[in-house]
Amino acid sequence: MTIENARFGRAQARRQRANFALFLGPALLLLACFFLAPVIVDLGLAFTDMDRTLAVTTLTLDNFQRMTTRDTRLLASLGVTAIFVLCTLGIFNVTFALLLALTTTAVPRALGAFFRAVWLLPRMSPSVVYALLWLWVVDPNERGLLNQVLVHVLGMAPADLRNNHPLLVIILANGFIGASLGMIIFTSAIRSIPEHLFHAARADGAGALAIVRHIVFPALRWPISYMTIHQTLSLLVSFEYILLITGGGPFFDTTVFSLYAYRRAFENGQYAYGAALSLILIVIGVVAALGMWRLMDMRRLLQTPRIEVH
Amino acid sequence: MNTRTMLGAMLTATLIAAAQPSFAEDVVIKVWSRADRSGPLRAGNIVAAADTLNKMLTAAGSDKHVKIELNETNAKGYDEDALDLLKAFAVDKGPDIFVLAHEWTGAFAQAGYAWNLEDHIKKNPELYDDIIPTLWQAVTYKGARYGVPQDSEVRMFFLNNEDMRKIGMSDSDIAALPAKVDAGQFTANDLCDLAGQVVQKGAAKYGILHRPNAGPDFQMLTESFGLVPYDKATAKLQASKVALRDFYTWVKYCIDKKALVADNTSMSWDAIEHASFTGDDVFAFFHGVWRVTDQMKGLNLKTKDEYFHRFTWINAPAGKKGGKPSNLSHPIAYAVSAKSKNKELAAYIVGLASQPYRNLQHAVTTNHTPINYGEQSMPELVANGWALVAATPMLKYASFMPNHPKIGQYNAIVFKGIQGVETGRLTAQAATDFVVDELENELGKDIEIRK
Repeated sequence: MTIENARFGRAQARRQRANFALFLGPALLLLACFFLAPVIVDLGLAFTDMDRTLAVTTLTLDNFQRMTTRDTRLLASLGVTAIFVLCTLGIFNVTFALLLALTTTAVPRALGAFFRAVWLLPRMSPSVVYALLWLWVVDPNERGLLNQVLVHVLGMAPADLRNNHPLLVIILANGFIGASLGMIIFTSAIRSIPEHLFHAARADGAGALAIVRHIVFPALRWPISYMTIHQTLSLLVSFEYILLITGGGPFFDTTVFSLYAYRRAFENGQYAYGAALSLILIVIGVVAALGMWRLMDMRRLLQTPRIEVH
Repeated sequence: MNTRTMLGAMLTATLIAAAQPSFAEDVVIKVWSRADRSGPLRAGNIVAAADTLNKMLTAAGSDKHVKIELNETNAKGYDEDALDLLKAFAVDKGPDIFVLAHEWTGAFAQAGYAWNLEDHIKKNPELYDDIIPTLWQAVTYKGARYGVPQDSEVRMFFLNNEDMRKIGMSDSDIAALPAKVDAGQFTANDLCDLAGQVVQKGAAKYGILHRPNAGPDFQMLTESFGLVPYDKATAKLQASKVALRDFYTWVKYCIDKKALVADNTSMSWDAIEHASFTGDDVFAFFHGVWRVTDQMKGLNLKTKDEYFHRFTWINAPAGKKGGKPSNLSHPIAYAVSAKSKNKELAAYIVGLASQPYRNLQHAVTTNHTPINYGEQSMPELVANGWALVAATPMLKYASFMPNHPKIGQYNAIVFKGIQGVETGRLTAQAATDFVVDELENELGKDIEIRK
């Protein structure tokens, strides 16, 4: 009996290990290959002198010394990042996304679906095409879309947004794409609110604003928290559209920190210095994620529900 | 191809054939060349040379066959291309033959990727002795030749005569300009004044347009203000704070005069070319003599006279009255990989591609100055190369870029300073400080900053 129990226990342990490997293995492998390994490689590279020939000749602290004492553009670049992330997130990826979700769920279903599809278009088009469209929109010549409107319709002087307000351009370009993800998440959250709550509220005489405030907003607390954390991290490291639209310029005006590390590494082949700069980004990312996790009390979201709601 | 060359090449082919057992064999030679509309035959001549070699091999009864695998890259400029190529070599994906801007020779030689061709060149005078000797300087690093010049050129400001006529300048005023520039009477500031007038009087949309990215063009201007990037005595790069400040003060002056535009560095090459070659929108464009091809095509000009009725060429004017103007010749070169298993063969293909007949095809179709003395008297050049003949006297003021491994980085930093001033982000003093900081940070012991 005891032997059989022991055998059973061992078999169960084996099965548990097999299940673990089967279900979590692929995800862990993915994490190790694409998240952990790059961090380790980056950490290693940051202490070398790897230059454009990709050769490492010595281990050194020089990159960190340069970063802390001699890099005159580093702080400005962090400032640009803060403005870019806060504005894109605050105006578009959360607020505007919320507005889109609210309006497209308030109109008839088909019409709502149509508008959501329109807002998803930029996300579906290849980044280069999307960037080219923006380049055309803000082209300083009179053939630019914006200037066609300004000059021919409103009779104003042509504007050169890319040179005079480059941050605005990259915030708009990223925001118009970024808003669609939040819109989808918030829409599904609004759709999952039981229908009878709306009926009951209306029966009690609640207006549209009161319904949004007392029924919709409470249901969106977690999606909003999640989107804020997710999009902050995503915006911190994304520079695809910035690179395509402004190249980080004019001068360094739209060089957010991730692009700054990229430019340092790839424009002149200073790979080790780029790696050292990326470490700052990793630290900022981790601190921002943990800070917001705590601030928004995300642990509660993951707690097992105490009651089942049907 | 002359008889001596042919005999040499035949001998080579026979030797190669004799040294190998005779069974059908493809020898693959990989070629890396930036796809460049202003020089498609840089790679094309290598392919053609391999064809010639294959014919020789067949005639010698060899079963060997050279196959060229061409990788035409899409980098925006030669600096970007060189960085990509260095990466390719670092991961063992380098080509056997590569095309590079001459100032990168040092970087590839130092990294051990460019093969020292000194022995090969000395052993094969029939292939190389006709090349104009000064061009070899451009591919020499620490006393040895690591490349073969592929072409040469003359850079200049192309001034649009129509725009000058529109603001009331007479043809004799216009014709006198090049000599005034050479005498140091017409300075860089005068050029900005003139370009500004042309814009403000509505004759052209742009006063001066330049390339949108880092590249060699700016060296002729910085040199006019006394910035000498290389110190032969110490073999180090150098920068003078005074020269930098004078140069950036000039850039700011041009912006204030509306001679330069703030968004030049964010324009695409296509937009710049469209504006420069299809009408009179641009008063002064500065680049190299090969652009004559584009101007003739874009403006539908047929003859030399029609061309010079429309354009005047000047060197980069001196920074100060009485100073010296400057010019830059920027050869492109072939190099052979030191890592190649077929170095000798690759070098012979480069040698064949550099013969007068082949090189002339590149020279006359793209208006690049030829590399061989022999080409200068060939009927095709005499008939079609009037632009090259006309540009040659400007070489009196020409210099090369120094063959320092880090000159590419140096140029990129000076360019960022230009971008900073043009876009109104930096004053002349701030640009100088920025450039000095960046040079010191990036180049460390390779740079000396002077007052």
